[in-house]
Amino acid sequence: MPSVIYHPAYQTYAFGAEHPFSPLRIEMLLELLGVLGHPVQTVAPEPATRNDILTVHDEEYVRRVEALSVGEEVPDSENFGLGTPDNPVFPGMDLAARWLVGGTLHAARLVCENKEKRVLQLGGGLHHARRKSASGFCIYNDLAVAIRYLAQQGLWVAYLDIDVHHSDGVQEILYNDEHVLTISLHESGQYLFPGTGEIHELGTGGGRGLKLNLPLEPFTEGESYLEVFEKILPVALQRFGPGVLLVQAGADAHYSDPLADLMLTTRDYEQIFRRILEYADLYTNGRVIFTLGGGYSLVAVPRVWAILYLLINNLPIVHDLPADWVLKWSQRLGQKLPATLHDPNPGYPDLPRRTEISHHNRREADRLLEATSRFWY
Amino acid sequence: MFVRDIIKGPVIAIASETTLEDAYRTMQEKRIRHLPILESGRLVGVVTDRDLRLATSALSPTPFPPGARVAEVMSRSPRTADPWDPVEESARTMRELKIGCLPVLEDDRLIGIITGIDLLDALIQMTGVDKPTSRLEVRLSDRPGELARLTSFMSHRDLNIHSILTYPEGKSVVRAVLRVNSIDNHSLAQALRRDEFEVLWPPEKPCLR
Ligand SMILES: [Zn+2]
Repeated sequence: MPSVIYHPAYQTYAFGAEHPFSPLRIEMLLELLGVLGHPVQTVAPEPATRNDILTVHDEEYVRRVEALSVGEEVPDSENFGLGTPDNPVFPGMDLAARWLVGGTLHAARLVCENKEKRVLQLGGGLHHARRKSASGFCIYNDLAVAIRYLAQQGLWVAYLDIDVHHSDGVQEILYNDEHVLTISLHESGQYLFPGTGEIHELGTGGGRGLKLNLPLEPFTEGESYLEVFEKILPVALQRFGPGVLLVQAGADAHYSDPLADLMLTTRDYEQIFRRILEYADLYTNGRVIFTLGGGYSLVAVPRVWAILYLLINNLPIVHDLPADWVLKWSQRLGQKLPATLHDPNPGYPDLPRRTEISHHNRREADRLLEATSRFWY
Repeated sequence: MFVRDIIKGPVIAIASETTLEDAYRTMQEKRIRHLPILESGRLVGVVTDRDLRLATSALSPTPFPPGARVAEVMSRSPRTADPWDPVEESARTMRELKIGCLPVLEDDRLIGIITGIDLLDALIQMTGVDKPTSRLEVRLSDRPGELARLTSFMSHRDLNIHSILTYPEGKSVVRAVLRVNSIDNHSLAQALRRDEFEVLWPPEKPCLR
């Protein structure tokens, strides 16, 4: 059985009731898996230590997180991305963030020590956190900490980010690292936060050609997404030859996500997750770690991640959702949840410009392959 | 943004008695295409790689020999820029005169040179992204107070506007493109629409909610 990393203390990473990065997402997911007959057996991590955090973050930043965490005044907090509308201060934020890092690090250790091949970390994926700044709901970069650890243990790491936003924090921290391949598919930064993730951002020094960014057009749908995904992933993984694959499985590319403009359905996510597991079998001897990430449509996110859980565990994809769960959460959220695990089909009306969008994405994928190829041969 | 913000020092210049051959070698070595020319410390002209090629071309009826002096082929009394000129004014000058560079003088002393490439760098910097931000595009009436209404909307929400660019769109409207320090520009757009702003980006999703 693949390990699932989780601790109730993850739920303390919460910016307040109105904030989109809601702990409800995990609560709904765990409950859903339970009523589907798969109560989740979790492995509890330890919170990451201060020294773990300092492997990727500057101390001047960490000091400020710690100070704000215990209610001290920090006059220059906004220079560090803290105390902004996106990243409001909350008591205990340092420890709460270290719990999430600890979970991802624990997942990395299990794989590195050959105790486990597939691990799901039910949290983390805080890919926007910068070396010395919080950003986009992310305080500490659990992904970068885990990657640094894996690389130090001698494993070459392939990092795949399917969150709808560019993984700018992970990229910044590992931009010149020659042992780390990063691949981010995201809605183009011309339109979406954080604004980066262009094809020409290819890495520096030894990392040159190992940082892959595929910006996608707003309103990209599943068919086009999967086309470019299959174009890039096998080529990059085969060339790089990683020892482990780390996946940030953000669910905010779903068509109902309130923060972004891609149009994936749960069926598309199922295909993407299946491909990832196949690629792991082919290119990393099955070693793969998944974290969660963004995903702000409470109607969709628990279902997307439930599909991920079922696939990782080789469990069947059920059709119907338990009516009690649907009713309870529809009432609690004041939003109607679908009665099925997958989205209604079709989930949204036909979109204009479908052909142009696919064409554009295809061309971008070709440009990316062309841009990286000269670093590989 | 001023000319002084985009010049890169130290400026490479040559004397007017330099030979065409040496001038060309300097351009090759330094990978540049424009050279200001000095006589006793004062700017007297500019020579470009194109000037050198044309002057020495076998196609020319009277080609100059490689040992000729640059003073014979340079453009005299070139148009110059002041370090405190706005970048856009220099761009306009270069565009109007169809020239590729402007030597920059401070009290008659040559302190730099700007080229078309420097202006492209400036454009990238002015419109680019160097902090994590979201794009917001709003159509405003071209009348006093509209931009202020937009920016005070942001400040009431404690949002920081990282960059703002406006340009006229037709007769009585301007388009404002902002980069704001928040991941959630969609709910911001919704709130702006409730306040009767015409938000062009991000759009309302066609399908949902
Ligand atoms: Zn995201």
